[in-house]
Amino acid sequence: MKRAAKFILWLAVAITGAGALGGIALHRGEPLNATWFVVAAVCCYLVAYRLYSSFIAARLLALDDKRATPAEIHDDGRDFVPTNKWVLFGHHFAAIAGPGPLVGPTLAAQFGYLPGTLWLIVGAAAGGCVQDFIILFCSIRRDGKTLGQMAREEVSSRGGLIAQLAVLAIMVILLAVVALVVVNALKSSPWATFTLAMTIPIALLLGVYLRFLRPGRVLEASLFGVALVLFAVVAGQWVAESPAWSRAFTFGGVSLALMIIAYGFAAAVLPVWLLLAPRDYLSAFIKTGAIFSLAAGILFVRPQVLMPPLTRFIDGTGPVFAGKIFPFCFITIACGAVSGFHSLISSGTTPKMILRETQARFIGYGAMLLESFVGVMAMVAACAMPPGVYFAINSPSSIVGGTADAAAATISSWGYQLDGQTMTRLAQSVGEQTLLNRAGGAPSLAVGMAQIFSSTIGGERLLSIWYHFAIMFEALFILTVLDAGTRVGRFMVQELGGRVWKPFGRMGWMPAILLSSAIIVGAWGYFLYQGVVDPLGGINSLWPLFGISNQLLATVALVVATTILLKMKRLRWIWVTLAPTVWLVAVTMTASYQKIFDPSPALGFLSNANALAARIAAGQIPPAKIAEMQRLIFNQRLDAVVTGVLALMILILIAEALVQWYAILSGRREAVLHEAPYVETRWAADFTGVADGDD
Amino acid sequence: MQRAARIAIRSVRRFWSGLREWCGDSAYERYLRASGRQVADGRKLSAKEFYLEQINRRYSRPNRCC
Repeated sequence: MKRAAKFILWLAVAITGAGALGGIALHRGEPLNATWFVVAAVCCYLVAYRLYSSFIAARLLALDDKRATPAEIHDDGRDFVPTNKWVLFGHHFAAIAGPGPLVGPTLAAQFGYLPGTLWLIVGAAAGGCVQDFIILFCSIRRDGKTLGQMAREEVSSRGGLIAQLAVLAIMVILLAVVALVVVNALKSSPWATFTLAMTIPIALLLGVYLRFLRPGRVLEASLFGVALVLFAVVAGQWVAESPAWSRAFTFGGVSLALMIIAYGFAAAVLPVWLLLAPRDYLSAFIKTGAIFSLAAGILFVRPQVLMPPLTRFIDGTGPVFAGKIFPFCFITIACGAVSGFHSLISSGTTPKMILRETQARFIGYGAMLLESFVGVMAMVAACAMPPGVYFAINSPSSIVGGTADAAAATISSWGYQLDGQTMTRLAQSVGEQTLLNRAGGAPSLAVGMAQIFSSTIGGERLLSIWYHFAIMFEALFILTVLDAGTRVGRFMVQELGGRVWKPFGRMGWMPAILLSSAIIVGAWGYFLYQGVVDPLGGINSLWPLFGISNQLLATVALVVATTILLKMKRLRWIWVTLAPTVWLVAVTMTASYQKIFDPSPALGFLSNANALAARIAAGQIPPAKIAEMQRLIFNQRLDAVVTGVLALMILILIAEALVQWYAILSGRREAVLHEAPYVETRWAADFTGVADGDD
Repeated sequence: MQRAARIAIRSVRRFWSGLREWCGDSAYERYLRASGRQVADGRKLSAKEFYLEQINRRYSRPNRCC
């Protein structure tokens, strides 16, 4: 009886999800309510979690709760810490949730709401969650080894090196693109710049408090810090209204880029307790709070989605970024559906803290579903504003024109009605001088979030506060990714450099610290500068480059997972990882090819470089601008080389894996797994960790 | 009614202890209870030493994603 009731309940969830998804897909005409998106996403996640993840856990991986995890075997209270599954879920989610699922779907909204939403749900359930879950499982079985170590042991030593280089490359491009998002959000905005600048002294204050006064008392320090940051958001308005202060905090793109580069260098070199760690605490609290508030706001306001399901830009002529729906919708969404970067977390801290193997399903698969839901909310927030406003904020001035009236005329000619007054009024109501030419996703998401929040609390009166709260929330945790990433990148550079010259690898040697920090900051700083001066807005070049590198890293992770499953003799179910691998290879290779060789200058790096060179040769460029134009040509060619090298690295890894797979399947090589020895657990079956156990 | 109050109090306590553990507030208490490695001279780290060691280790590997 109970079983029948359960079956009926799950059938109802499945039918509701299918109905809502069908409604979203087939709806035409009147605007659609955002509730449909929430219902479709949640029902699909529930069904995927209940059916697909339990199938993977039971059939494919055969998770074993009698087997002790690394947290039990090595419990030292420092690295290996047995942690309650809910707490670990929170840790894991806070680690994987970055700016990607907010920015990616916002940019992908240029195709309309439908393709992005479908990929966020399907891609996460069949790709991203599977990758996170299986890599977590593989790492648990190997004493918490990293993706690079697993690639070296299970695929080949060359595979390990490629994985390490791929991680470094994605890190550089990731840091450049997220820094560009911040620059585009802060330029000509004294309010936002002041608020973000204030987070630095607040973090320093917290750092001193946590280091000298109350070591490790993170909760009280963070709550105090969050209160100060919220006050800084309000104080930003006074700065914006004062002519003298407003001038002092108004910067152009290049100045902001240089300041962020200097900040990244300082954060990598300064002691971690002083700036990096306290900023991260602030960011974790504000990020979690803002994400849950956005979910609550969407459920409370239930906004209408004004963007059509598909726009005319599915043909590849979009103003936000160039490229057709395949493959660029998937490349742009990136982290919200599949993120290669997550495999570093799944093979980093989490496997060293998990209590039981079966919890890998809840933490690995479940946390990624929640991340995908964040992406769906970002899509709703972006699509809840009139399409004309969305395109005005996200299009570069070289395409739509530099004034509100010119932008309105161009965008209206595309069929998305807009008048110049609307943009001027909107900018005034959110306390900005202009909202035009703010490609990068952050300002349009902030407008969407502010409209949802202000409909819940405060109305029009608080729109500007909510807008700057949203900008602060995005910029704060983007800068946290930036400083944490720069520091990790520095370690990677030192590790790789140490192989060539030993003293360079010494982590405490100041010249090596300064040089490696300068190398990593110089690398992402160069791409950032290139993005800031790019006439097409930078995002057009850098975001696809970031998406490609991220999805290539996911390919590395899935190739490693497939190799391990093959060695575990799970041939019958190998499609679970092989199918997303094949899909990602198809997407990334097509995107890489198009970004390098496409004949359209808006899309192809080489054709853009050639078109610019032709303009110089034809004498169409004034002599004063020729040097600048030549730099642009060089940058486009550099982007083509970077894309080509990344694609080549992955093709080599795939070839290495194919050789390995063939040797195993044909019986020429014995399938040797590098799992840690089996140890039976000593914990009682109901042991749930510290949080609700022995405290 | 009493049962409901007990459940509510227990839930709040669990949430509070989970929150402290999530943000790292109770990491040192957890370390003192752990049976594993200590420092080379056989003593446990002080709260200050532990805090520094913990954050230095945490921020030397990928711990924040895109």
